[in-house]
Amino acid sequence: MSDLAASADARRGAAGCGLDILHLDMDCFFAAVEVLLDPGLAGRPVVVGGTGPRGVVASASYEARARGICSAMPTAVAKGLCPQAAFLPGSFARYAEVSRCLRELLTTVTPLVEPVALDEAYLDVSGSHGLLGSSVEIAHALRGRVRDELGLECAVGVGRTKLVAKLASKAAKPVAGPSGVVPGAGVLVVHEAAEQEFLGRHPARALPGVGARTAERLARFGISSVADLAVVSRESLVRLLGASAGRHLHELASGQDQRRVEPVREVRSLGHEETFATDVRDADELERHVRATAGGVASRCRNAGVMARTVTLKVRYADFSTVTRSLTLRAPVASSSLFAEVAAALLRELGPVRGVRLVGVHASGLVVDGGGGSRQLQLFEASGFDPSGPGSGWTVERRSEVETVTEAIRGRYGARAIGPAAAVLVPGAAPASVDEGRRA
Amino acid sequence: MRFRTERDGLLEALSTASRAASGRGSGGTSTPSLQLSLHGNHLVVTGADPDLVIEVRSSVSGDSDGVVLVPARLLVDIVRSFEPGAVVVTSDDDEVRVTSGRAEFTVRIPSVGEVSRLSAAESEGITLPAALFADGLRQVVRAALADDTRAPQLTGVLMVATDTGLRLVATDSYRLAFRDLSGVSALSPSSEVLVPARALAEIQRLVGTRTDASKDAEPPPLVFHHGELDAVFDLGEVQLTTRLLRGPFPDYERLLPASYPSSFTAAREDLAAALRRVRLMVRDTKDATTPVRVSFGEGGAELTVLTAETGRASERVDGAFAGEDLTVAFNPTYLLDGIEAIRSDSVTIDVIDSSKPATVRAADEDDYRYLLMPVRVS
Repeated sequence: MSDLAASADARRGAAGCGLDILHLDMDCFFAAVEVLLDPGLAGRPVVVGGTGPRGVVASASYEARARGICSAMPTAVAKGLCPQAAFLPGSFARYAEVSRCLRELLTTVTPLVEPVALDEAYLDVSGSHGLLGSSVEIAHALRGRVRDELGLECAVGVGRTKLVAKLASKAAKPVAGPSGVVPGAGVLVVHEAAEQEFLGRHPARALPGVGARTAERLARFGISSVADLAVVSRESLVRLLGASAGRHLHELASGQDQRRVEPVREVRSLGHEETFATDVRDADELERHVRATAGGVASRCRNAGVMARTVTLKVRYADFSTVTRSLTLRAPVASSSLFAEVAAALLRELGPVRGVRLVGVHASGLVVDGGGGSRQLQLFEASGFDPSGPGSGWTVERRSEVETVTEAIRGRYGARAIGPAAAVLVPGAAPASVDEGRRA
Repeated sequence: MRFRTERDGLLEALSTASRAASGRGSGGTSTPSLQLSLHGNHLVVTGADPDLVIEVRSSVSGDSDGVVLVPARLLVDIVRSFEPGAVVVTSDDDEVRVTSGRAEFTVRIPSVGEVSRLSAAESEGITLPAALFADGLRQVVRAALADDTRAPQLTGVLMVATDTGLRLVATDSYRLAFRDLSGVSALSPSSEVLVPARALAEIQRLVGTRTDASKDAEPPPLVFHHGELDAVFDLGEVQLTTRLLRGPFPDYERLLPASYPSSFTAAREDLAAALRRVRLMVRDTKDATTPVRVSFGEGGAELTVLTAETGRASERVDGAFAGEDLTVAFNPTYLLDGIEAIRSDSVTIDVIDSSKPATVRAADEDDYRYLLMPVRVS
């Protein structure tokens, strides 16, 4: 690790200025894409998010933000604030497509692009100065190209570290207030000399790892800004927050951020949650939802080129009490039917169904399946064998995946908890052996 | 037991037999051993594990008969360290003395035991054309699965009697190779045996070293016989007995595409050399390897390897291409394995599309096929 850090330092030294990290953040991405597709929405308040009774706002245009609407606000509240806004359900596929175009554009600047979300990425431009000029020139050029080629606006922060670049892009954004929208700088460069002062005026909560609880604890000791944090000794912070968090915050507050721009960002977990319009009380219906959600998560794993070792089921009841159950497998899997099988087994573990408000399925312990999204195909799966025919669907990996899952479920719920579908599943009826298995 | 022999011959016998003394089957606890057995002037060195037995016979100058078990690795190392010349081996109840020149080793004998034995094969022996058989093995064994944790039957080579002779088939589920040896009848009509690739790799090596050793390039006769459970390959002074694998072997014939819309033919060495070069950029991880993208087009193919961490390599190889332009990604090692298996100077790659099996074959011969599944890149 220290070798890598050292070589990154050497690269930065060679580039001269040291300001090689860019953070690009699209302006209210989902809403902006909707406006792009329907120019009639331009200038109007646009809100993208769940439109059902329990939906929340995913993205709001600056016009909507000026009315007090912000992300994660219940849609119902947003409607109260601004009934005339356009409320759109949004299309993830469309945003992903625009995001892909954005990523392609970014990789023409440097291969060292680390996407953080659909609308956000870090770039390390230390190797791009020869062709494209200084970091500042690159930042302005990028903004221009995003506008020209994608028809969208963004802000770019430039700094010595990821932390500074990220805070700088935020500071370069337009600001929506009750009196209207104040345009932002678009590009903000934080030179090394100005770094401490820039960091210092941010609230401590702006640092990654500082959530509401930590901020509260810090506030009790009179620490509210990064500047306050920076003068506290490392030892005191460690006493206050524990060894790892204390050391981490001390480093960040003093401008040390060792995180490199990682071109292929490791996905740590994938998941999906479904909030029901009305609470679900029927066991079969709930299991169908859980299976469908699990299948969707598996499909996202496959799209991301990863397989998961751990499947977690989350259930929130009508009274907002929440339980999670997870099962870790001996080998990673990415098959929809197997995910569904595990999630359904975890659901059965929770016992009789009472009113359920939300179910979620998460995949973690992810490993790359076939190297950066590539996968070696197998002869036997391509041969058009009928996978349900006896013995004919023979493929080595498929069988081992099934066995892995079967074994894990049996290990936890008893030998008869799961078997080949043909042996236990009668359409429309819950297999009796499943219940026996649960008691076992 | 006491005998005197030459260092080179003894080393050859010990190292050949020790290739079967893997230490497997003893729970991995005991040291792999070799058995030396002397009758008159005949020395038999036997190395064995539960799946494979190799016996090497040689002539020595014997003084007194006997049987002794010695630690395989140590004895090979000792004899290898000697200068060429006479070696004397003497044993009593609990040690073996090995001397050569002024060097003298006294080796403790492992606790008394026996090397494992396989049951003798039943069928009548059939003489195989050793050179042809070994060439077929060279082409086919490479496609077998190397470790048996996933599917033991794929660690074998299927020997199957065909209308015209003998066919050798192996697959690790990613690629499949088969070679037809016409006019070779080793099995009764339409019967088949599944022989561990490990044993056959030894046969290939033994035939190869013996062909090299005899200056007239005529390998010794290779006699094959088999029973229900075991098969024996007899090369005269070396006899190899292997346990047979149990199937079912996949129904591979259904995998062979009926026709290919596109095919590319190039000089084998050009293609292999270009692949070896671009492969330098490949980064293997535990789970995957970097694919080589092959873009076929008129007049040639472009090979490209691209990784986020190391960079990019590409090379164009001239060749004749018939079909629609297309790009297919392969595991570079698997592709190179197929190309290197070809004997003739020009190699043909037949392709359907980026997710169907491709075939590597000689441009002018029909007896060998190497099927290879592409890598899907997203």
